[in-house]
Amino acid sequence: MEFTFDNNIPIYIQLLEYMKIYLISGVFQCGEKLPSVRDFATTFKVNPNTMQKALAELENLSLIYTERTNGKYVTKDKKTIEKLKDEYATTLAKSYFEGMKRIGLGKADSIQYLERINEKNGIIRD
Amino acid sequence: MELLEIKGLTKVFDNKEILTNVNLKISRGKIIGLLGKNGVGKTTLIKLINDLLTPTKGEILINGNRPGIESKKVISYLPERTYLNKQMKVSEIIQYFKEFYENFDSEKAAKLLKDLNLDMNQKLSKMSKGMQEKVQLVLVMSRNADLYILDEPLGGVDPATRDYILDTILSNFNEKASLIISTHLISDIERILDEVIFIDKGKIVLQSEADKLRNKENASIDEIFRRKFKC
Amino acid sequence: MLTKLLKYDLKYMIKNMSVFYIFSIFFAITTRILFSVKQTVIIDIIGQISVGTMFSMLASVLINTLMRSWIRFRDSIYKDEAYLTHTLPVTKKDIYNSKFLQTLIFFIVGFVVIVLSLLIVYYTKDRWIALKTMINSITSGLNINAVLFVLSMIGIIFLEIFNAIQSGFFGIILGHKKNNNKIGYSVLFGFLEYMISQTMVLILMFIVGLFDGNIMELFKNNNILLNSNTLKLIIILTTILYLLIIYFMSVICKKELDKGVNIE
Repeated sequence: MEFTFDNNIPIYIQLLEYMKIYLISGVFQCGEKLPSVRDFATTFKVNPNTMQKALAELENLSLIYTERTNGKYVTKDKKTIEKLKDEYATTLAKSYFEGMKRIGLGKADSIQYLERINEKNGIIRD
Repeated sequence: MELLEIKGLTKVFDNKEILTNVNLKISRGKIIGLLGKNGVGKTTLIKLINDLLTPTKGEILINGNRPGIESKKVISYLPERTYLNKQMKVSEIIQYFKEFYENFDSEKAAKLLKDLNLDMNQKLSKMSKGMQEKVQLVLVMSRNADLYILDEPLGGVDPATRDYILDTILSNFNEKASLIISTHLISDIERILDEVIFIDKGKIVLQSEADKLRNKENASIDEIFRRKFKC
Repeated sequence: MLTKLLKYDLKYMIKNMSVFYIFSIFFAITTRILFSVKQTVIIDIIGQISVGTMFSMLASVLINTLMRSWIRFRDSIYKDEAYLTHTLPVTKKDIYNSKFLQTLIFFIVGFVVIVLSLLIVYYTKDRWIALKTMINSITSGLNINAVLFVLSMIGIIFLEIFNAIQSGFFGIILGHKKNNNKIGYSVLFGFLEYMISQTMVLILMFIVGLFDGNIMELFKNNNILLNSNTLKLIIILTTILYLLIIYFMSVICKKELDKGVNIE
């Protein structure tokens, strides 16, 4: 898979973003063992040092933890992940409604659009 | 002990000061970009590290040793030019490197050559310049060195090969070694750099961690470079 | 590391010189055959062509060995190939010694090929006896062993040529310390050093002459009438002096190389 990076933003911050999404979307489950720094770096095609920095930041945010000899694991604390997910969802929702407001659509229309577009394009299915 | 330490290095050539009072420290496990326009002294600095030039003033230490046999064992250098004996076949060059360098991995070389569709049995003189440059890259990356120095490895290379080169650099990475890429094509490689060194008119202008610099200036390394060295 | 460097230097020379060796011997053989069969006008002409070609091959052997030694020295130490040579984990001394030995070996090989070719074409029992007789007449008059005499003459010519080759090396090393006109300076310095080394042999001879009247005679009167002891002394002295000069020049060359190179 090709990951695009914007050279204008610190790479490790962009890696952090990708990783956060992996965590909240369940690509890696709570308590699951993570691939090594090298494997991650190879997947993302980035410098392992930069990858390490991103992972260190994830650890700072208590999203992952390191078991000295065994490697890195996703936090067992579901609530932390849920909280992050909630933050992302909130940001997306805010941005959606602010955008709709900017183009002059009302509350009812905005909510209708949500349902309709999802149905039509089959983006999120049950 | 630092992997590479340069103290007060000055090089005068033909009455011109090409490098002035260069001070640098490079530690292990890093990918470093030596960035500067053409003709500012990048290649001169690299040649000095490789004992192809002698300093006018100052000192270069690799693992604490002056450039000599010990440093040459652990440095793997890709010059900007084609320098191999064109009468040799690829397989003969592999054998040559294997004989002189203990840390040369001929299996790795064979694999890299295969990936790049290069024929082991072909004479270098029968290859295009691009293919010769690829052979040289393979030779350099097949060594288990402490310091890799690539001088303009991406010039005149097609995007697919460029990606392959960057991938090879990343997969080659180990914490005991460092790799210096010297180039003026910054946007192509800045993503993989740990540190950047800006050099201009023979002087080191800046040495910094790449992401720190991006954070500070809110721009890409390429953009920061352009701003600093507006023509 | 020296043996490895030498191996590749020898390989290079073999690749480039074997053509001349093979053709020399080949034309020597064909000449011999042509000279041996019943002579007709056509065979005579072809024979002349054959022997002429052989001699030009022999000349090529000589010239190529000389020129290629210098060119190879310059190319691998100062041109593009220098990027390979100087980044190998070898000392500059080993680099020099390898070139030195390679040149020596190929000069011997070239010499053998030349002698062999000439023998193939011209050897007959009669001529050999005549040659031996001539040499014996010189050496017995002087009370010297004929074999030793011939060997020492060959040896001295060898040393002279080798000194010339090393002068070339010396010139190339010094010439390439300059920023411009490297080849010009190389030729200049090489030539100067050659002249100086030749002069040194004469001067040292002269100094010995201060102690040995016979040798002084040689200087004063150009008198070729030598007694056997003087001749032996001259031969031994010349040989030793050349060996010393070659040795010291190689030490100086290596020291100069050690100071570092500046590759474009």
